Amino acid sequence: MKRLIIVLLLALAGSAVYAQAQQTDSLGFDENNKYIYYQVAAQPGLNADTIYKRALNFLKTAYTKDKLKLKKQDDGKATLMGEGGFLVSKKALVSKHEDAKITYDITVEVKDGKYRYWLTNFVVIPYERDRYANFVPVNGKKTPLEHGLRVLGQKDLDDYLEKVLVNSREIGKRLKNFILSPAPATTKESKISPVIKKDW
Amino acid sequence: MKRKLLLLSLLSAGVFSANAQDSTQTDPPLTITGSVDTYYKYDFADHSNLPTSFASDHNSMSIGMVDIALKKKVSKASFVGEISFGPRGQSQSLPNAAGVYDETTNSYNIQNLYVSYDVTDKLALTAGYMATFVGYEVISPVGNFNYSTSYLFTNGPFQNAGFKASYAFSGKVSLMAGIFNDYWNVYKSASKLNTFGAQLSLAPVEGWSAYVNLLTGPSSGTEIDLTTSYQITSAFKLGLNAATFSAGNDYEDGGFTGVALYPQYAVSSAVTLGLRGEYFKTKTGDYATFGPAPGESVTAITATANIKAGPLSLIPEVRFDNMSNDAVFTKKSGAPSKNAGQFVLAAVYAF
Repeated sequence: MKRLIIVLLLALAGSAVYAQAQQTDSLGFDENNKYIYYQVAAQPGLNADTIYKRALNFLKTAYTKDKLKLKKQDDGKATLMGEGGFLVSKKALVSKHEDAKITYDITVEVKDGKYRYWLTNFVVIPYERDRYANFVPVNGKKTPLEHGLRVLGQKDLDDYLEKVLVNSREIGKRLKNFILSPAPATTKESKISPVIKKDW
Repeated sequence: MKRKLLLLSLLSAGVFSANAQDSTQTDPPLTITGSVDTYYKYDFADHSNLPTSFASDHNSMSIGMVDIALKKKVSKASFVGEISFGPRGQSQSLPNAAGVYDETTNSYNIQNLYVSYDVTDKLALTAGYMATFVGYEVISPVGNFNYSTSYLFTNGPFQNAGFKASYAFSGKVSLMAGIFNDYWNVYKSASKLNTFGAQLSLAPVEGWSAYVNLLTGPSSGTEIDLTTSYQITSAFKLGLNAATFSAGNDYEDGGFTGVALYPQYAVSSAVTLGLRGEYFKTKTGDYATFGPAPGESVTAITATANIKAGPLSLIPEVRFDNMSNDAVFTKKSGAPSKNAGQFVLAAVYAF
């Protein structure tokens, strides 16, 4: 029995440590009372121009256009803005279907050796089943996450907030990977010389 | 003891693996969704009166259907297979293999069975047995606000088997055109694939969608239908369905015309109240409808609440129908009546 209790405590402690390790950042409210995911990342050794180019490449190519696209590019202020969205699903043991799409705006600003980015304007577009057994967005129903408690209820809001955080982290990770790796050079594909030639 | 330790280890592993799962995955290998529904109905005449679809049993705790839909999409190709069991999902909405609505010999259980291919981002081709594109209400209780159904729904098509092409001109305009079996609601044609169907989809402003539908064939007749809904505010939605139908060559004359209005207001995140007001008139001729006799009409008012508790919806509903003659409804005593009314309490669980 003692061993059982020790194992149980160890398992619980493990979960707590794991959860703490995950909680390195979180969603907050900005001055307009909107949910925001804000991060500053140091990137020593890279100048602003390089980081800017790589961030631009991220916004253009990291995801398909329906998931993230460049909205505005301000070279003078070294600022990039994009808009995107991710699907969230309702999942049970054997079933899973689209539950909603959460759209967002992303801004990236760069300086020598560092960059910052933030995701905000999160809006929930619910999905519903259509007559063909597909799940499709409900036309005209858009709920800013800040109004989620009133419109969606506590349980759904908590669920969406968690998914916003998970996805924001994921987007941040992918941005970091793009900043770390040189943008692919746009080289012309070399022409392969034919095996069967005219003069033989 | 070892068993307990093993169980604990498995539970711990489960917790960690659940945390590690990617909640953003959007393309599952196979999607399984569906619903179950059950209801209690009390007809104020103490016997069933209304001829519209589903919720047919008086003073009985009865079942609708268990509905299971499978969907898979790989690259541009997808399929949907939807099967249903229970009165609503068998003889009340599906024919048997012989094309007859008979509970005792019901056999196919297929609501949707089609394959689709996205030729481009804008053009999709679909073939198989599909829920009809005509009308506001649908067979699945998850897709309807009211639990009882309208006369327009009951007398319109349920499914159309055929081949269709859909082209999206923009995010606001798309067009579908297809060729379907000679009769509605059949798994195979009687002899020809000669019913033409088309749907013009419009989204003039955000929140407003409109579908203009045409389904016409020598055997199936011609139905022209407008289905539209407008989410005017985040809480208020207004829907409208209007249709006219003329019977095909199997009849000398007849058909119906009708209009239904669906205002709905969300009073909270869990509760939405709604009305359905319908006027349905039959054309003179030898074509018989589920409802008024040829040349007669009916007006129906339905007040429904939709109370959500997660995936479960409770649907209390009161409905009053007024017919232009007393040929269809009967009073408690059995005497003819122009009026009928009922109370329904339904529970629908969607997964």
